[in-house]
Amino acid sequence: MAGRLITDTSDFMTIDVGDRVSVGGRVYRVTGNAREGRFGVEDPKMWVKWVVDEESGAKKVMKLVFFETFVTSLGGVSIRCFRDPVKEGQILDLVKGHPYFMQGVAYNDNRDNSVRVIDVVRGKNFYFYVDGLYMPHRDYFETVLPDILKDLLKAFEALRYLHVNGFRHGDVRNDHIIIDKETGNYTWIDFDYDYEATENPFGLDIFGLGNILIYAIGKGFHTLHMIKYDTKRYGSLYDTLEPWDLSLLDGNRMVNLRKIFPYIPRPLNDILLHFSKGSEVYYESADELIEDVTRALYSIF
Amino acid sequence: MESILIALSDTMSSKAVLEYVLAMSWCPENIHITLLHVFRKPSGGEELMGQKYMNRQPARYMEILEQARDRFVEKGFPPDHITLKMVTEPYGTIAEGLIDQVRTINPSLVVIGRKRMSKAEEFVLGDASIKLVRALEGVAILVVKVV
Repeated sequence: MAGRLITDTSDFMTIDVGDRVSVGGRVYRVTGNAREGRFGVEDPKMWVKWVVDEESGAKKVMKLVFFETFVTSLGGVSIRCFRDPVKEGQILDLVKGHPYFMQGVAYNDNRDNSVRVIDVVRGKNFYFYVDGLYMPHRDYFETVLPDILKDLLKAFEALRYLHVNGFRHGDVRNDHIIIDKETGNYTWIDFDYDYEATENPFGLDIFGLGNILIYAIGKGFHTLHMIKYDTKRYGSLYDTLEPWDLSLLDGNRMVNLRKIFPYIPRPLNDILLHFSKGSEVYYESADELIEDVTRALYSIF
Repeated sequence: MESILIALSDTMSSKAVLEYVLAMSWCPENIHITLLHVFRKPSGGEELMGQKYMNRQPARYMEILEQARDRFVEKGFPPDHITLKMVTEPYGTIAEGLIDQVRTINPSLVVIGRKRMSKAEEFVLGDASIKLVRALEGVAILVVKVV
């Protein structure tokens, strides 16, 4: 059954399966709403549609304008976050052909709403990839992590490319890297978030990179709650914890991983400590972080 | 003649800068002061702040610079030894703007304020004074902290 032909996407809630959206001289048939799968809960994202290009038959993701804005608190600091669809369109244009970013085109519908038509990146996200590696941490650290760090460095370098061009990713998380099934590239997705400009305009992106490193090196996050209650795994570590072992912006997250895994070499652990409450010096650019990780990688493994 | 660049805004730390500098001993006839304000780009676009609000800002900051100039004149500085400079073309960050202006004006001393902040605030919000200290060479930097 042919649905409505839509040229104005302002009311994205009413755009439903079977409707056809006309933008950029092509027509896309809506096949469903995308869902955000995190922490075992799947929330429908009504402004993100699964579509099929009627001409080529290719499956795409269509992102419509949703001006969400909220204030988040990081380490007690309030910061205003918002979606900026125009920024995502500009980044798509900038990274056209770049192998470490999702690819797509931004069009305007007949009401000047930014409609981004995005190629599907097939593969597991980094969160699920690491979570699905069933092996002892020591084996993981010695055999898997070196290659992960090499791949992460390429993704970090890609993020640096955004920064030098004046763009923030805006939502750097371990599930916003998809490991492309075909190429193995660690591919950044979803750049429509942004946050209030500060004197450290790329700070939250860099903090996100730090979290990804902590997740990668720790083979998952280790929280205060886990350390306190899972004594079989962590022994009496909880009793030895100091405030500076924890994350600067997330007081529940363990950063000083060498306390859990003593074989983590100091130079690698020191990088993580830059994101701890004890740090006096912070990374101000992705460059500085990339340099330290590269040095640690090639001196350790 | 010595040249001093004083970065001013509408913050408590800027007020502290002004009071601190005015309380110092100077030879006003041997000093040229530039009172500077630079703008930072608003990330969400001007429409989020409101065009009316944005349009009001240059006049508001010029008034702050003029009031500061009056204080220096009261203190004995010749009016022609004081330059007011407001750069309305916004920079990515205040630090970027100040560094650029310091390189153009080439003062012997830069004065900037620093508000008290937690480590988390320093990481998330950043601090222009630290960036100035890191980036600038061949110029003295006086950082006035608000206690």
